[in-house]
Amino acid sequence: MNQRALFWRVALLFLPLSVFGVFVVWPLLNTFYYSFTNWNGFNPNFQFVGLRNYAGVVTDRLFTNATLNTLIWTLLAIVLPTLGGLTLALMLDVRVPGANVFKSIFYLPICLAAVVVGQIWIWIYQPDWGLLNSAIGLFTGERPIFAWLAEPETALYSVIVAWSWQQMGLAMVIFLAGLTSIPPYLIEAAEIEGATRRQRIRHVVLALLRPATVVAVALSVINSLKAFDILFIMTGGGPFHSSDTLAMYMYSESFKKYRMGYGSSISVVLFLMTLSVVAVYFRQLRKLDELYD
Amino acid sequence: MHHRERRVWKRGRAALRALGLALAFLLIATMSWADGEVTITHYFGGDLGRAGLEEIFGSFKAETGITVVDSPIGHEDFKAGILVRAAGGNLPDVFSYWAGARTQFVVDAGSLGTIDDMWAERGLDDVVAKSVADGATMYNGDRYLVPFGYHYAGMFYNTKVMADAGVTEFPTDWDGFLALCENLKSQGITPIALGSMNRWPAQFWFDYLLLRTAGPEYRASLMAGEASYTDDEVQRAMQLWKDLVDAGYFAANANADDWTQASDKVSRGDAAMTLMGTWITGYWNGNGLMAGDDYDFFEFPMIDAGVPNAVVGPVDGWLIAANSENRANAEALVAFLASDPASQAKWAQVQGALSPNVNVDESTYTSVMLRALEAVGNADTFAFNYDLATTPPAAEYGLDMFARFMDDPANYSQHLADTEAGVRTVFDG
Repeated sequence: MNQRALFWRVALLFLPLSVFGVFVVWPLLNTFYYSFTNWNGFNPNFQFVGLRNYAGVVTDRLFTNATLNTLIWTLLAIVLPTLGGLTLALMLDVRVPGANVFKSIFYLPICLAAVVVGQIWIWIYQPDWGLLNSAIGLFTGERPIFAWLAEPETALYSVIVAWSWQQMGLAMVIFLAGLTSIPPYLIEAAEIEGATRRQRIRHVVLALLRPATVVAVALSVINSLKAFDILFIMTGGGPFHSSDTLAMYMYSESFKKYRMGYGSSISVVLFLMTLSVVAVYFRQLRKLDELYD
Repeated sequence: MHHRERRVWKRGRAALRALGLALAFLLIATMSWADGEVTITHYFGGDLGRAGLEEIFGSFKAETGITVVDSPIGHEDFKAGILVRAAGGNLPDVFSYWAGARTQFVVDAGSLGTIDDMWAERGLDDVVAKSVADGATMYNGDRYLVPFGYHYAGMFYNTKVMADAGVTEFPTDWDGFLALCENLKSQGITPIALGSMNRWPAQFWFDYLLLRTAGPEYRASLMAGEASYTDDEVQRAMQLWKDLVDAGYFAANANADDWTQASDKVSRGDAAMTLMGTWITGYWNGNGLMAGDDYDFFEFPMIDAGVPNAVVGPVDGWLIAANSENRANAEALVAFLASDPASQAKWAQVQGALSPNVNVDESTYTSVMLRALEAVGNADTFAFNYDLATTPPAAEYGLDMFARFMDDPANYSQHLADTEAGVRTVFDG
């Protein structure tokens, strides 16, 4: 490699590596360090407390609640958008007038910022004049005044529905792309063999949509793990921590209760959880590559 | 080397040189600009507050030639955002803050510069009301905060709703208050609106119920971590609150509304009154309501005889960062903000605040604000509201408890026990 080529490689890599180092690696190392301290976030005087923060995490019922919510969130944020997207894709993968218009309409929410989506759904869930209660009133004859986002039993699920509504369009596009790669003769052959529509979908279409499903699920996992903004806008983890995920709880402990050391230990636990999910994902992806190679 | 490669190499070097020159120019330009400016961040992000401050900063520039570089942040985001900036040593020259335990917290972290010399040089002792200056400006024996405005929390009501319900006299004691609520409810009117979505609006209920029963001294000991949330005094205050909820005096779904939505319920006539700070007058005035004609207030009724009359509210002030790069400009700005009567009057009008400046003419105020001023003057004590009276980490546990109480008042003893357990981790380490 000549000197100039080396110069350009170093010069072009310098900026992205610097950004990655400053904004990812350095804060990550700092988070590990602070998780062993009682730093309150801005006072320069703090002590090393060993594993005390991690011991606190184990007995903290709000942490347990946030962990459970994170698992529920991740699971539903994978299942609902993927199933919704698949259903829409199957419905729209037909040559009917206006199909492209509907595809655009269903894809549009993904173009909106999470803040906007959150605000739209806050209005939908509003107890006194929201769309949801009005719609229920149309069916039941009496309009309820249920506060979907203010009740601890429904707050988290209400946000998941809003999130899934936004993410569904992305899964739909991935499945539509997957559907175009399925040769029509396979479906026709199954039809000739006497397979019903349900059997054709199950044994031909869904089987051949496996690569698209992996991509859709992987994107859902990644997006759900980094989802913070929509929850922050819609409930802020409330009411009284009932919709806290680990990310939200970490924020609340670090920046509201000024327990940056404790918040850092929550971050480390969340990081390890995410790492294990990503490891599983890459393993599955490699298996898939081997299968198709 | 190929001709083409050489050309790319030369272009690359030229581009890097140009980038370096541009950065150097930007740095020099920024440094020279910084001589005549002062940076400021605050939580007055609402339309009225921003417009008022822009006018005030304009007056400051006209008088001193110093440009105010203003970057407001939303009220709720400000609470965490400013501390993150403090942690990184990136505070603006000047920032707004709430007097009391929150300022104490930042003082203890060493993030603030003292203003004792500036206070003396500018003669602010003669400008700022002593009642405000004593409690709000001094921390650890030094002066840090310049008060900009303060508020009083009272029971603000819709005058038309009350008149239509035949209410002509307003209660001064607890029995009278219960009778008023019952009267309104019997006529199909929801007596009280509360918007506790962001938790803090509920604190005024806890503050007043505790102050009117256990008194200011006990409350101060609770705020300092010397008394317990499981004490009989706190249990009694919560029981009184529960009685009101159980009687159906509060509008449904308090945790679904923020304070403006609760205020809208009152102004629309969906509820009769709400316990809120005087900033509600700024909000209502901005919506075209007229003080006295459309809304008014009465003081939170006394409950136990012999308990000192305490009023509750926050003091908004300005702080200067310890590492301010424009210290002289920052001092000039905060002194101007506190001492310029026209700016103080403007702020009182747009924000619905009471001015700590003794030179502000009383004609500045509406009839409602004049009565609020009178209420503060007649009180034995001015107490900071809950989240400014106890340390911010402890306040988080209490604020959670208020929202939880509004959802599940029956189990308030358990909520208090949980709060006490959380608060102990703050005070006992």
